[in-house]
Parts: sequence; C-alpha cells; structure tokens
Amino acid sequence: MLISLFHKTTFAYAGKAHDSFNEVRLRPVDDANQVCRSFELRTDPATAMRDYVDFYGNTVHYFDVVAPHGTLMIEAVSEVETTPNTARPPVPVVAQSESGMEGELRAEFLVDSHYVPLDVSVWREAQDALQDGRADVWSDVRRVCRHVFTSFAYRPRSTGVATLATDAIKLRTGVCQDFAHVALGMCRSSGIPARYVSGYFIQARRHPDDEEASHAWIEAYIPGFGWAAYDPTHDRVADERYIKVASGRDYGDIRPVSGTYRGGKTRSLRVEVRVREAAGAVR
Amino acid sequence: MPPSPKVPAPRPQANVMLSRVAHSLYWMSRYIERAENIARLLEVNLQFILDFRGYDDAHLREHWGSILASSGDLELFDKHYETADSRSVTEFFAFDLRNTNSILSCVFAARENARMIRDQISVEMWETINELYLFLKSRSTADVWAAGPYEFFQDIKRNSHLFQGLTDSTYSRSEGWEFIQFGKYVERATKTTRILDVKYHILLPSAGDVGGALDTAQWQAVLRSASALEAYRRFYVREILPWKVAEFLIFSDSFPRSVHFCMAQIDEFLRRILGETGARPRTEAARASRRLLAELQSKTIDEVLEDGLHEFLIEIASSLERISDEVVRTTMFYVAESTQEEQQLQQQQ
Amino acid sequence: MSLLSNPYDPGEFFDEMYEANGVVRPHYRSLVERLGTLPLPEFERRRAAVDLAFLRRGVTFTVYNDSEGTERIFPFDLIPRIIPAREWARLEAGLIQRITALNLFLHDLYHEQKIIKDKVVPAAQILSAKHFRREFMNFSVPHDIYIHICGTDLIRDRDGNYLVLEDNLRCPSGVSYMIENRSAMRRAFPNLFQSYGVRPVEGYSELLLKSLLHIAPDRSDKPSVVLLTPGVYNSAYFEHCFLARQMGIPIVEGRDLLVQDMCVYMRTTAGLLPVDVIYRRIDDDFLDPAVFRSDSMLGVPGLVAAYRAGNVALANSIGTGVADDKVIYAFIPKVIKYYLDQEPILPNVPTYLASEPADRKFILENIANLVVKSANEAGGYGMLIGPAATKEEVADFRAKVAANPRNFIAQDPVMLSRSPTWCQDRLEGRHIDLRPYVLCGEKTVVTPGGLTRVALRKGSLVVNSSQGGGSKDTWVLDEDK
Repeated sequence: MLISLFHKTTFAYAGKAHDSFNEVRLRPVDDANQVCRSFELRTDPATAMRDYVDFYGNTVHYFDVVAPHGTLMIEAVSEVETTPNTARPPVPVVAQSESGMEGELRAEFLVDSHYVPLDVSVWREAQDALQDGRADVWSDVRRVCRHVFTSFAYRPRSTGVATLATDAIKLRTGVCQDFAHVALGMCRSSGIPARYVSGYFIQARRHPDDEEASHAWIEAYIPGFGWAAYDPTHDRVADERYIKVASGRDYGDIRPVSGTYRGGKTRSLRVEVRVREAAGAVR
Repeated sequence: MPPSPKVPAPRPQANVMLSRVAHSLYWMSRYIERAENIARLLEVNLQFILDFRGYDDAHLREHWGSILASSGDLELFDKHYETADSRSVTEFFAFDLRNTNSILSCVFAARENARMIRDQISVEMWETINELYLFLKSRSTADVWAAGPYEFFQDIKRNSHLFQGLTDSTYSRSEGWEFIQFGKYVERATKTTRILDVKYHILLPSAGDVGGALDTAQWQAVLRSASALEAYRRFYVREILPWKVAEFLIFSDSFPRSVHFCMAQIDEFLRRILGETGARPRTEAARASRRLLAELQSKTIDEVLEDGLHEFLIEIASSLERISDEVVRTTMFYVAESTQEEQQLQQQQ
Repeated sequence: MSLLSNPYDPGEFFDEMYEANGVVRPHYRSLVERLGTLPLPEFERRRAAVDLAFLRRGVTFTVYNDSEGTERIFPFDLIPRIIPAREWARLEAGLIQRITALNLFLHDLYHEQKIIKDKVVPAAQILSAKHFRREFMNFSVPHDIYIHICGTDLIRDRDGNYLVLEDNLRCPSGVSYMIENRSAMRRAFPNLFQSYGVRPVEGYSELLLKSLLHIAPDRSDKPSVVLLTPGVYNSAYFEHCFLARQMGIPIVEGRDLLVQDMCVYMRTTAGLLPVDVIYRRIDDDFLDPAVFRSDSMLGVPGLVAAYRAGNVALANSIGTGVADDKVIYAFIPKVIKYYLDQEPILPNVPTYLASEPADRKFILENIANLVVKSANEAGGYGMLIGPAATKEEVADFRAKVAANPRNFIAQDPVMLSRSPTWCQDRLEGRHIDLRPYVLCGEKTVVTPGGLTRVALRKGSLVVNSSQGGGSKDTWVLDEDK
C-alpha cells in the first residue's frame, strides 16, 4: 500500500522557552516490509536539522532552538510504500527460542528495561496466557497478545506516558503503549526476545471524528526468520496497513519528540496525525 | 564547521574572564565595601548620640529615622521593630539577617561570593573574609553592647581595610582586578551621595537651629561618616559650613571618598572592563559614565544648590545604578539570566 | 635514634624494601643508609614541615561521609616507593598494551561489535553494564581515541608479581597528589633525591595539554581548551583547579558554557568565546540533561549534539565506563588477545563472575574466604573482604549476590605487598598499591611513577583517601645501578 503520513506536534509554553535541544524519531524505516519514498521534516521556528542512526537503527533528527520562542512546531510529512501481504513470507513454526550464545545479540530484549521490569506480576500474567503449555514461538506470541487484548480494557487517559508495564497490569487498562509494554513483559518472561515498535496504521473505515494518533505494537524474534510483528491492541498481525517508524526496548527508546529547554512550563501540547492511503496506490 | 554568524563576535579586550567569576568578584567587592560603610555610619551616629546630650526622644527618633530612610530600609525596619533607638537600629543594621543590607548579611554574601571563586583569590584574602564571617557569626547585639560597640565597628572596618589592602597587594592585576575596583567605587560613590542626602534632605534644621550646636554637630557626623573630617579641616581649616561640606564630598578631586574622585576611578575601570580604548565611547555605559564624570568635573556647588542638591544627589545615585547595571548586563549577564530558569523536559505524549 | 632503631618485620607479605631474609633490596640501599643516619627529631621536623606545606597549599580532598563535607589533607608518608628501571620498563609496556587494546575495544563496542559477534565477550554483559551508553553508538571520535587519560591500579602479590587490580577510565583522579608529593619530597630530601636519579613527573600537565590539543576539531590553529568541573562541592575540586592552572586553561562549570548551532561557547566578559576541547571531570550521567539525566544542573544542554556534530571534542570520551566495569574487567585479557594477538604483559587478578552459573555456585559457597565487589561502586564501597568480615556482613553479601548476580564479582584475596611506613613512632609495613597515569594523544605515554597509595590503618587493605588512605612518592629510577 502507498500511504501518506502527516504528523505535527506543537508545544506552547507559558512565557518563552529558550536553549531548547531536541531529538525526534519520526522517520519511517526502510526494511523488507516497507520503503520510505519521501520524508520531510520542518520546524517553526526554523532550524538546521542534522541526523544520525541510533543504537536500535532508528533515524534520529536533532536540532536546537536557542532564541526565545513561545511555541515550537515540528511537522513530519512522508510517503511510505508497504509490501503487500501476499508478498510477505509466512512466519515459520519454530519449536523454541534460541538459547546460549546464539541468543546473545538479542539479550537486550530479554531483560528488564525501564518501562518493563520483569517482576512477579509480569511472569504470572505470562503463565496465565500460556497455561495450556508452550507451543511454537509464534503461536505463543499470538496467545500472549490475545490475552492482553481480552484481559485489558482500552481506556485513554487511564494511564500516562510514564506508566510502567507493572502499573498497567494492576490497572487492567491502558492504551496501545501499555498494551505493548505488557505484551513485551510477558514474552520476555517466557524467554521470547521482543521489542517495542512505534509507528502508524491505516484504518479501513475511519469516522471523521476519530482522533488519529501514532500507534505502538511489538515484534518478537523468531529463530531462523527474524522479527515478526503483532499488534496486541487490535489482536492482529501488523501487516501492510502498518508503518514502522522506530523500535527499541520500550517507549523510552523511541520517544517521537524528546529534549530539554529552559523557561516556562509547557502550557499545551497538541498532536495532529493523519494517515491516508495515497493516490496512485497499486493494490 | 565555523561558528554561526548569529553569535556576536567577542569584544576586543585585553583581559577576558568567565562572566560568573567577574560577577562574583564584583559582588564580593561591593558587599565588603557596603559592610564597611554601614559599620562606619552606625559607629559615627552612635557616637554622635552619645556625645550630643541635647537630644530628646523626638530628635532621637528623627535622627535614626533619617539613617533608615537614607538606606531605603525604613519600611522593613518598621515591620520588625517597634521603636527606633540605638539598640534596635544597631540590631537591625548589624545583625539582622532579614535585612539584606545589614553588616551580617553583607559579610555573608561577600563570603559566599568569595567562596565560589576561592581558587581565584589569594589564601590571605579568603582567610580574612572567612575570619570576619566567623567573628560576626559568633556575636550578637547583646555581646556588642556589653563589650562596647566602638570596638565592634573598629573590627569590621579593620577587617575591611585588611581585605582591601590584601587585595591590593596580592591580587593579580590581570585577573579581574577591574571588576573588584569597579564594584568598590560604585558602592562608595553611591554611599557618599546618601550620607550627604540624609543631612540635607532629612535632617533639615529649623530656622533657629541653623548654624547652632546641633546643626554643626550633625555636619561633623556627616563628615565622620565619610571619614572626611580631618581631610575637610585641612582643606577648609575653620568652619564647618554645609555648602562647603557638600562641595568637598561631591567635587573634591583629591579626597578618595568624594563622588568626583570615585567617579574618575569608575570611569577608568569601566573603560578597561569594556575594552574602550578609543577617544569616543562605543558602548552606552561608557557614554553615560563619561557624561556623569564631565558633570562632576565641571559643575560648581552654586549651580547644584540652585537646581536643588537633593535632586542632584538622587540623579547621581540613579545614574550610577544605571551605569553599573549596564556593565553587569553586558559582561556578566549570561549568568544572572539563564541559570535562574528551570530546566524543563520536552516530550510528546 | 633514627627511624631504623626499631626492628622492622616484613611479615609474610612481599615487602618493597626488605627481602624475606631481612636484606635490603638493592634499589633501596642508599635510602636505608640515609635513614639510618638521620636523627629522629630531624625526620619529624621534615615531616611536620611537609604536612604544614600541604595544609597551606590546600592540597585537600573533601570527604562526603561527614555531615558537612569536610576538607582533609591526604596524608603523606615520607618513605618513598622505589621502582628500578627494568621493572618499570615492563610495567610501562604492559600499560601501553592494555590501554591500546581498551581503545580498540571501545571503538568496536560502539561500532561493529565484532568482539561480541565473535563470541569473545557475551553481549548480555556489555548490554547490562551500567556505563554502556547506547546514545553513543556509531559516534565518531577524533583519532578514534576514547580514553585519553587512564589511571590503572596495580598491586603486587606475595611473590612480588604486578597484577592489574582495576582500570579507571572515566575521571581518574589523584595526579595532583602525585605532583605535589614530588615537590614535597624534593624539599624534604634534596640531596638524596638528586643522588638517586629519579625520573621526573612534572611534565604531566604539558603532556596532558598536548593530548587535549591533539583531538581539537580542525577549524582553528589555536584551539581553546577548558576543564569542566562539577564545582566547589566535588571532592576532587582541588585537583581540577590545580590541573587547570598548570595547563593554563580556564576552569569552567556547566553554567559557564552554552551550545548554539551545535557549537560550544564560553560565557565571558568579552562575550561568547568558542570552545574546542573539553577536559571533563563530570560523569556521563550529568554531562548533558538533553540526553542523559534530565535533572542534572551540572551539565550543558546540547553538549552531546555538538560533540556528535564534530564541533567539540571531549576527554575522556563518553561511554568509556563500560570498559572499566568490574565484570568486563574479567574479560580484558581476552580483549588484549583479540585485538592485538598478544598475551597480556600484566595479568589480571583471577576473577569469578557471579553471573556465570559455575562461578556463582563457587562464590556463594566460599564467600567467607573471598573478596566480593559490587560491579559499579567506586573506591572500596560495596565491597566485602570475606576473611575480615563479620558473620552478618558475610550473610548480607551472600543474599545480595544471590539476588543480583550480574552486579557482583569475586576474587581470591591477594596478599598485597607492603611498604615501610612511618606509623607514629616506628616504621611498620602497610599495604600499598600503585596508580600510574597513562596519556593517549599522538603517542601513548605513561608518566614514570604515579600515585602510590597506602592503607594507613594497621592490617587494612583499603587505600582510598575517603577511607583512611594516604600516599607516598613513587620513584622510577633513570637507570639501575
């Protein structure tokens, strides 16, 4: 699918902000499942933009706005072509995750991270989901995600950007960020390396009043295959409708916009996201 | 990658130092000078009241009220104290930490600034300020009163002189000396205008008192507050005439505490600080300083008295404030402004 | 009466001055002769003079354990530690080899990670290292030098073999004491000093400045170098001022710097002056609130961005702490082999890793006889010396190790060597170590000598200043007679 993306973030400050140093992770990746055909990033006030590739392979743009400003607007516009579902290889049945030295490079995604501490509550949740015993890796991942989908209620504003997986487990509610964190914890507790993915998906039927936002899901490592994506919030494979922007251990590694500045507190933060099928798409 | 053109090119100056360090040197110097001036003021006035038995309660209140008014602290004093008498005013001006202009507050502030630049100043300078601080911390008004205030104020002045003398002999001329001197003379000049203004503006004698014993004694006290009595006498020999005192304290080019003398130093150091080497000043502060100095060099006391001494003194004090603020803003401002504001986190929800 | 009037017992340890049979080692003979003829009151007088000089010069450090951060003089012992030229040559070669390998290691960890892919060092250990900075991945640094200043701690075992105890690759300190100690010795024993032929250490600051200038970005022929300090409250503040003054560079705090358009500037009375190289004595965590700890008031927002853009250079670089992690330490001999294809000249102390199942079992079973260290604490804190600990302390540590194995290592206790030290009224043996300083610039240079630290408390093995340590001057001889 050819998808056009629009993502605009506007900060308004109480008074003025200055000496602002920021990093954004907004550029969709290029991989086997998608190609980013175009990407433009602009800010207001305008700044010189630089970029680098971070530890997880995410493209990071960084810039500073030193002079005093009352608002900061960051706008990313891109066009991404996703590989059609029919062209994607199926995920094979693999009995169990790698162990020992082969798993070394994925060790990162099996241990505690800031948002996903692997404590007893996470482990118990995983036991619940997989109480019928372990099957192959990909089935287990799907069962974990289904469990999250059915046992947790999607409720915006019940959690916040700082909510940990363990908090969400107690609350039994959350948004996509929390669903993803909980699913990650459960996979990792079960020895399946899994990582957090941020991006967008295109809705088949969209109500004009629907608030669009960026989305979060997970990828699990299938030995011999690679990373396979699943969306616990919708209990479905993250297929051609999904556009991946960044991945990491958890939300902390993929923050779309982060940084510091000096000055008054942020009075408001507005995010506008539009995900559309682009003209000229070939089905 | 060359530095951005948006960053203004640095001023061509001989001595360059960190703004923060200049800031601390400047304020360390001003606070020590301020503490000494307060000590002198208090001492002279306490002595005056002791000497002049002709003072009744009303006069006493008026006298102390004038001192408080001259430093702009009347309101603050009234908030915390019931009556203005020798003891309460001494308490207020010497030990009260609620008063940012008390000797204790000033010495604390001076020491704090000195501590932050401790590796810049000599060991002797630091030890002197530190000892003064420890000395003050260990005393109270009751102690001072019991032992005799005269000794106490002598100690303050002695330490201040010691500090300034040590600075003179141990501080390297290439590392911010100008900021120390600039701060000292700004503080001193301002104080002289205030000392003068107290008597002229506030302690106006009634018609019958002019030239009388009280009036003369008060003028003597004014001169003593500026350590100027002997110098004045050498100059004018016999009489203590109000307009001569004013002339002496404002226009003398040889007496080190006169406003004119201080202004000449201020102008000199300001030019060095701002790298002003040409004949015509480039910066606003240098222009204002040049103007003020010219006024002090050319005006006569008659002209001043005709236009109003009080207004003249107020104008000088505020010009000095503007000039020093401008210098602080130009050379030390980055510090004061930016670090006060909180660092904020920015992230998307 | 002289210092040698009381009999000296080397005990079962390797003694710097005396062989086991009581014979003085050849390189100490002149010293012992001199000490034998020096009357005790004269020695005391010189000692007092040295202490007073240190006090007046403010050669201090600040101890944080006290409620009011007090300043203390780092106690100095007048009996020097002497190293023959041949012995030093080997140490020097070993240190250069080690730091060369460490720089290659760091470059690899932050780029291709070949050593992990080749399974020489487990990824899990690197990734879980507290000081592995993911933000630094793929960063390029001038001349690929990550460690510009290194302080590697060496100890000697019972047979007198030198072993590496640990590397200090972040903000190693103590070099100012090394220089001050040397001045003190020169004043106390001028003739003895001259007759021995000791290699000078005074050139350190010049060498350091050279290494700093070496990494300056290309754009200016007179690069500006500054020393970034956390400020007066830091325990090593004296050293920061000392070094800055010796090198003739400004000493700045985070609030004196700002970043604009990816360039670093210094706030001065003449306006903003560009900064090219920063010798930073602030830990990574506090360096830049926009990237690391956002609550840090000590750092400079945007500094990492300016570094990444190549507009400023930092010494030491970011992320070097992964290589002095106590667990990674255990792999360094393999690291040396991997990058240089050489056997390490200076061996490690044999180490057990609690994160490895076999080692963990051994540690938990034998903990009362081992030295156990927390992987990330500095200076003797978070450490258990099994044979000297109480039952409670041992049990406490056993529980900690079991709960968080990645965070602990253990070593067989080493019978640290001793050096005769003046203890109130007689010479007694006290345990010592050695911290030489290595500078990496255009060339890698090891300062001859370094800081010999002494555990002043009888029987103690802890040499750190904050826990009752002191120091001695270290003499590396020009040539062996």
